[in-house]
Amino acid sequence: MRALTAAAVGLAAALALVLTVTAAGPPSGRTSPKPLLTTVPEHP
Amino acid sequence: MRRKASLVLLAFAVFFTALAPLLRWYAFPRLAKIPAGQYQDMVLEAKPATLIDYGTMKAKRVPKVTIVQTLKGNVAESDRIEQTAGRDVVVWDALSYVAGPDGKMVSEIPERYIFDAHSQEPVHATGEMVDGDRVRREGIEYKWPFLTEPRDYTYFDAQTRTSAPIHYKGTRTFRGLEVYYFEQTIPWTKVRLPKKMPVKGITPESVEKMGTTRWYSTKRMFWVEPVTGAPVNGQEIHKEELRGGDLLPGGGKVTAFAGHVKMRDDYVDSTVALVTSQRTLVLLLTGYLPWGFLVVGAALLALGLHLEARSRRPGAGVPDDETPRPDPRPTPA
Repeated sequence: MRALTAAAVGLAAALALVLTVTAAGPPSGRTSPKPLLTTVPEHP
Repeated sequence: MRRKASLVLLAFAVFFTALAPLLRWYAFPRLAKIPAGQYQDMVLEAKPATLIDYGTMKAKRVPKVTIVQTLKGNVAESDRIEQTAGRDVVVWDALSYVAGPDGKMVSEIPERYIFDAHSQEPVHATGEMVDGDRVRREGIEYKWPFLTEPRDYTYFDAQTRTSAPIHYKGTRTFRGLEVYYFEQTIPWTKVRLPKKMPVKGITPESVEKMGTTRWYSTKRMFWVEPVTGAPVNGQEIHKEELRGGDLLPGGGKVTAFAGHVKMRDDYVDSTVALVTSQRTLVLLLTGYLPWGFLVVGAALLALGLHLEARSRRPGAGVPDDETPRPDPRPTPA
């Protein structure tokens, strides 16, 4: 019984971690102030 | 004490073992996405090239034609479209600016490309366009999806405003990276004239009125890093012609632009460096971490079982949760 409880705790912790990380997700950022280029850049 | 330790180890073993598939099949598809605010520029060159001289209406050989491509993520537009689309969307405002040997504009074609940030599938929303014309893209453009498969894809051609298969032609090695090579050939097709013409006074409408038409054919080649789906090299054998009408009487035709367009070397280097770093991140989520967690989980489980077995061995000491009660003190009768 205690082994089952320990396994359940481990599983719940893994689920909680993954759900939290994916719910937060990466930030979308903001639109770059740089223009669409109409000149040839010297370098990347 | 050992029994407690083995229970803790079991909990951690389950934690890491469960984390492995969750990371690969639940977290990865949700976390791996193109950032909405990405900005990227690219320079391609055709050396030498053939270009039309609008003064004489004859083709002439020039040392170089440069194509500057810019992709700019429009975060405000992607936020707006996400509200109705119900998924993560990227909106790329793109510009393909073609410059002649003197740096002057030969043509410039703006585009708005809207797609799913995770799968690269096109999203159809107001504003999707090529050179101001509304389009409805099918397939991919500019980039392949994460974990690209070795198969044909449908690729959107901005000049013809249509989609056609781009064929997988094998796996190659490019600058130390394993890449998939794709090829698409667009046969001679009548296409629209760019809205912005390089000569003052000439508009697409005035050319069309004279009955002259623009035709285009290309063979495009991409070397795509399959983990990120990012092309690390691209080339195009590009041909454009003006045909017939009052400008070219008697059914004549003239090359408007022709050349073998290749990515400039310094841009190839920077793209390879960028893709290599991004590839490591994707591999972390799809390979290194899931497999690492599985190994850690298995090791912890083995250790827990070992401790548990030792605690049950005769003479191994009495587990702390089974401490025997002290013998009752003898009481005088």
